[in-house]
Amino acid sequence: MSAKITMNDNEEFQDFTKYERARMVGSRALQIAMGAPFMIKVSDEDLKRVKYNPIELAKMEFEKGVLPITIKRPKPADRE
Amino acid sequence: MVSQKYKDLLPERIIEEIKEKTKGMDADKVEKIMEKMVREYKKSKIEPGESVGIIAAESIGEPGTQMTLNTFHFAGVAEMNVTMGLPRIIEILDRRKDISTPMMEIYLNKPYSEGKDIREIALSIKETKLNSLVSEFSINILESSVEIILDKEDLEIYEIKTKDVAEAITKELKGVTVRVDADKIVVKPKGKEETLNAVYKLKEKLKGVYIKGIKGVTQVLPVKRADEFVIITAGSNLKEVLPLEFVDETRTTTNDINEIGKTFGIEAAREAIIREVFNVIESQGLNVDVRHIMLVSDTMCWAGDIKGITRYGVVSGKASVLARASFETPIKHIIAASLTGEIDKLNSVVENVMLNQPVPVGTGLPGLAVKAKKELTK
Repeated sequence: MSAKITMNDNEEFQDFTKYERARMVGSRALQIAMGAPFMIKVSDEDLKRVKYNPIELAKMEFEKGVLPITIKRPKPADRE
Repeated sequence: MVSQKYKDLLPERIIEEIKEKTKGMDADKVEKIMEKMVREYKKSKIEPGESVGIIAAESIGEPGTQMTLNTFHFAGVAEMNVTMGLPRIIEILDRRKDISTPMMEIYLNKPYSEGKDIREIALSIKETKLNSLVSEFSINILESSVEIILDKEDLEIYEIKTKDVAEAITKELKGVTVRVDADKIVVKPKGKEETLNAVYKLKEKLKGVYIKGIKGVTQVLPVKRADEFVIITAGSNLKEVLPLEFVDETRTTTNDINEIGKTFGIEAAREAIIREVFNVIESQGLNVDVRHIMLVSDTMCWAGDIKGITRYGVVSGKASVLARASFETPIKHIIAASLTGEIDKLNSVVENVMLNQPVPVGTGLPGLAVKAKKELTK
């Protein structure tokens, strides 16, 4: 993984667990890979830098906090 | 000074430690240290979704392969065997009803803990049977009775009188007449059949008559630990030891987890399991984080009573049929479930693995939700 993106230090998203982050980024990357429009402006330079990797793009979106996906946590009550 | 706002963010013990170590530093520095501590503490915590059970199993299981199978000898005047190593761990985790070497550690109150009357106290705890006081049993064939000659020295050591012994015999054995004849005790069966055989049987019975002490305590061993005397016993009977006036009931314990559960309750039992398992692992020179053991102990105790990790204990409490079947005796479980029409909600890990579905652990735990835009719903 690229060293530049450090999701741990992002205050806003510290409440997500690493699993939740992986799940969100993973699902979004799948959408991007299948041709979904970006939620952020990405320059050609940036695209080249990440080698058009959808996962890196999804991470960028996550960093900016514009992911159209959120997490629903199972609570004990949901599980009967 | 450490400011108050960290009270909810860090455990008390860590705050105390920092306070200790940052004495005399200026406030700015301390504040920076605290901020870093909070971050480190958050990082060290397990994240929700982590499969802690498997990690605990591996962390205890791997060192378990290196454990020895033997018992070790307790150094002292009277030697005691103590079950250690793997057999002991199995014993604890299976919640055996009768453990192979029950032991108590009896701490004493002030004057006695410094060694006052230590031998006398120890002996008064030990279960004394008639056999250990007798110098000779003899059978009088003419009168068809058993004559007991007591050992005078032993009587003095144990502080028992001949009369007391006779009383103890009348109390425990029914259908006999007991008579004290100078230093002898004559016991005669009352029944009509006074065959030689009956007298022999009586003699054997007499050997096991309980005289004094605490039932179940077969050996006592006063030991000096740090600067106080502690009595270690083979055999365990907390209920009767604790009320004794010379016993420090706040520290006296046993290694029998069931007994702790019965006398002190489930929380004490949980602690006892942690302590006992940890001691075994530590005594073998191995290193396992307590939190793994705590998890095991918690799964054994959360239901309110102690459950062993067997198909009758923890596993039988699982909601899923498939999870139960995956442990032991699968056919039995599946047949019983199909007869009663049990429903499996597939809420847990094992059953989903069996069905080749994502398991609710880690990434599989959270569900996804989409923020719908208002324009789209128009």
